[in-house]
Amino acid sequence: MKISRRDFLKGSATTLFLAGFNLPALATVSKKKNLVVIMLRGGMDGLCAVPVIGDKNFEKRRKNILIENTIKLNSDFALHPRLKGFNECWKENTGSIVHATSIPYTQRSHFEGQNLMETGGRVAYKEKTGWVGRAMKLAKLQGDGLALSLPMPLLLRGVPKNNNYFPASGRLPRKETLDLLRSVYAESSEDELLEMMNYIKKRKDEQMMGGSSGHGKRKNKNLAKQAAVYLRKSDGPRVAVFEVNGFDTHAAQGGVDGTHTKCLVEMDDIIKNLKENLKEAYNDTVILTVTEFGRTIKQNGGNGTEHGYGTAIFMAGGLLKKSQVHTDWPGLKRKEMYDGRDLNATIDARSVYASAMSTVFDLDFKRIQKDVFWGEDLQNLSDKLFKA
Amino acid sequence: MKNFFRKVAFGLKPDEKAPSDPLGWAQKQVEAISDLNWKGKHIYSEKEMRKYWITQRVEENTTLRKKFKNDPQGFERAEKQLEYDTGGKYWPNNEICIRHAEGVRSNNPVLAKLWYFWTNHFTISQTQRLHQYSTGAYQREFIRANMDKNFETMVTEATIAWPMIMHLDNKDNIGPKSESGRQEWRRKEKKPATLNENHARELMELHTISPKGGYSQEDVQELAKIMTGWRPKWTKKSDHGTDIKFMSDRHEPGKKKVLGREYKKGRKSLKIVIKDLVNHPSCREFIATKLCRYLITDNPTKDMIVPIIKAWERSDGYLPEVHKAAIKVAFEYNDKYQKFQNPENWWLQVINMSGAGYAYPVPEKMMDKFQLGYPVAQNLRESDWRLEDIGCHPYRSQQPNGYSDISTDWLSTELIIRRLMYAKEAFFKYKIKDQLDDKIHEKIIRTNFDNPDKILKIVSKAKSNEEKHMILFNLPEVLRA
Repeated sequence: MKISRRDFLKGSATTLFLAGFNLPALATVSKKKNLVVIMLRGGMDGLCAVPVIGDKNFEKRRKNILIENTIKLNSDFALHPRLKGFNECWKENTGSIVHATSIPYTQRSHFEGQNLMETGGRVAYKEKTGWVGRAMKLAKLQGDGLALSLPMPLLLRGVPKNNNYFPASGRLPRKETLDLLRSVYAESSEDELLEMMNYIKKRKDEQMMGGSSGHGKRKNKNLAKQAAVYLRKSDGPRVAVFEVNGFDTHAAQGGVDGTHTKCLVEMDDIIKNLKENLKEAYNDTVILTVTEFGRTIKQNGGNGTEHGYGTAIFMAGGLLKKSQVHTDWPGLKRKEMYDGRDLNATIDARSVYASAMSTVFDLDFKRIQKDVFWGEDLQNLSDKLFKA
Repeated sequence: MKNFFRKVAFGLKPDEKAPSDPLGWAQKQVEAISDLNWKGKHIYSEKEMRKYWITQRVEENTTLRKKFKNDPQGFERAEKQLEYDTGGKYWPNNEICIRHAEGVRSNNPVLAKLWYFWTNHFTISQTQRLHQYSTGAYQREFIRANMDKNFETMVTEATIAWPMIMHLDNKDNIGPKSESGRQEWRRKEKKPATLNENHARELMELHTISPKGGYSQEDVQELAKIMTGWRPKWTKKSDHGTDIKFMSDRHEPGKKKVLGREYKKGRKSLKIVIKDLVNHPSCREFIATKLCRYLITDNPTKDMIVPIIKAWERSDGYLPEVHKAAIKVAFEYNDKYQKFQNPENWWLQVINMSGAGYAYPVPEKMMDKFQLGYPVAQNLRESDWRLEDIGCHPYRSQQPNGYSDISTDWLSTELIIRRLMYAKEAFFKYKIKDQLDDKIHEKIIRTNFDNPDKILKIVSKAKSNEEKHMILFNLPEVLRA
């Protein structure tokens, strides 16, 4: 056991003081700032992505799936060697990790967990809106959400008029046809359909729909390029949401070439392509990840891992204060683990998200805490993680 | 009233006469399971399909990887050829043709629509190439074939179906204290036997009692223990694709306690615990709610659910009775509620109402032309890509909870774009004669709507027959049923 429980989190008193200014939105003069959320579905293994260095308890428990040749981040943590895009951010002081964190959900069901990672609540299926959607509503950001997926993710719900991009092949009908349907939707009070039709019309004007095959365009790394083009525009969306599936590796999780790695690389490609294509706008962006839970420390008989609890959050973008692994490390001895089997979560992931949104949406942390997360006990990490 | 034919089925064909007793018409269809409408020669059992899966997986993961260790391009080529040899791109297309023929060509479209409901309830998600070889056959053999049995039978058969065991990892659910778990080699090779809770959790959460059943993490673990040992039979020679057997040497010994009830060790307990789960009040409430959500509205009321629960209780979960009750409720609420149709059901409605069933699904004689070892011709691959493109491929759900039944999840820019474009494509399924028939839209509208004049007025604003198709099939009256 190299590192034990430490307190990295002193000095939150100043944060409370700074948060006292009760200004609703300061957006009028500031630059357009962007938030990108990458949802990692299936339970991302924080300790596969960002392993702890020199912990015998850890190495012993996952002999067959340990990642080798990792990139050392600091004295305590290393990075999965395939996460080259993120490593570039790290080197440029715009990549951070929050470790030993999770949404406050410990029941290990994907569907409940994914529901909660999107709603931000504590009771599965209770809330019908997402934490990003609610915060956007608070910041009066209508029509500023873009999902890079086919169904609209729950995460963005709560604010109307979101758009999505996941191109099909073929050409859109002519303007008159769209107008006719639009008027029918308006007359029948089909508000949601009407909004969709407005987007489609706009897209038609932008000549977005190429005639070529949609398949390649629908890969996450290519969607990231397109999303960056949109986010970069001054009148473009301010929030983009990606989904990466397949983290649920109960069997054959594998080491550096395994299935978990494949999913992590998909995430990494999104970060890399966003960074490259956002250009200067990268400086005004926060990219962060969300997952429903981590995975058990111990490998199972099938060289996979089970549903766990604590995990890690990846963050990138010019709005980050610096490159760091921010953690209140709980340790991996049996009694230090959750249920004696999982990495514990010592930071409520929602504290990170609330702080990020406070920075990007120029909203007072306390308002987000109150109106987005029902006044729950969250820490303001804004001054630790993000630029003022 | 005519809305009902779209609510519980896929509408009426242009020349079809509306049945005089719609409720009776619909209920009769779910009383027995008729033969499949599809007359193609490639209909194989799940077990037969496994042969192709085995060849694909074993060759790919062992032989080819060894052979092309230092030749990634050679590996890619060989992998592609292997997929041709095993029909990996053909089977899902063929299976979707079988599935959709039931919706648009058979005499029991109501049964088909409910079949789709159950295949989504007992989803096999896209993993381990199951969607290419096994899921279609599984949906015929373990879901459709059990729609005239009790729910208990359907749950039992689906639970120990080979694809379900594979996709929820029960293969790796081994009792730590079992005979196999205690063996010396596990210690030496550091491959300890551990529980895998995945399948047990889904059996409760998704398939039977839902989280409302109030089970704890401990209940999940105990159920996982009951399920230990249910896996493909392991032999020294192979562990690939063998039949599901109860392997007592991997079964966790001792009594287990789930939701307060005790179960003995051994193979019989799985069936008993399924019986108990199926008879749990939360189970019938969960299924009744889901049925109403699928057929009637996103937010079913208590008054809708109760008659279905009652039918369940009277008939001991006999599915034809449960279905009839659900159809009756849908009939009673027909005019008051309009349900936004998911993309697959909408597409079948477009084909059926426009009378293009002769061109979709791709006819048997064309599908039968395929030969193993060759690439699948573009024109035989429509079903597969279209369903993927429309965001609800029934074999490719990303999660074991299948697709949502809530309209918000189907309302997005991209999905509405696809409906516009696919309505146009449906038009070009028509033979030239139908494309040129200026009266065809009036026929479709008069057959399918109680307010034909209003709809005709809107549609007549279109400049061409092709545009009429696009507009008609994207009117709120068609998107909802």
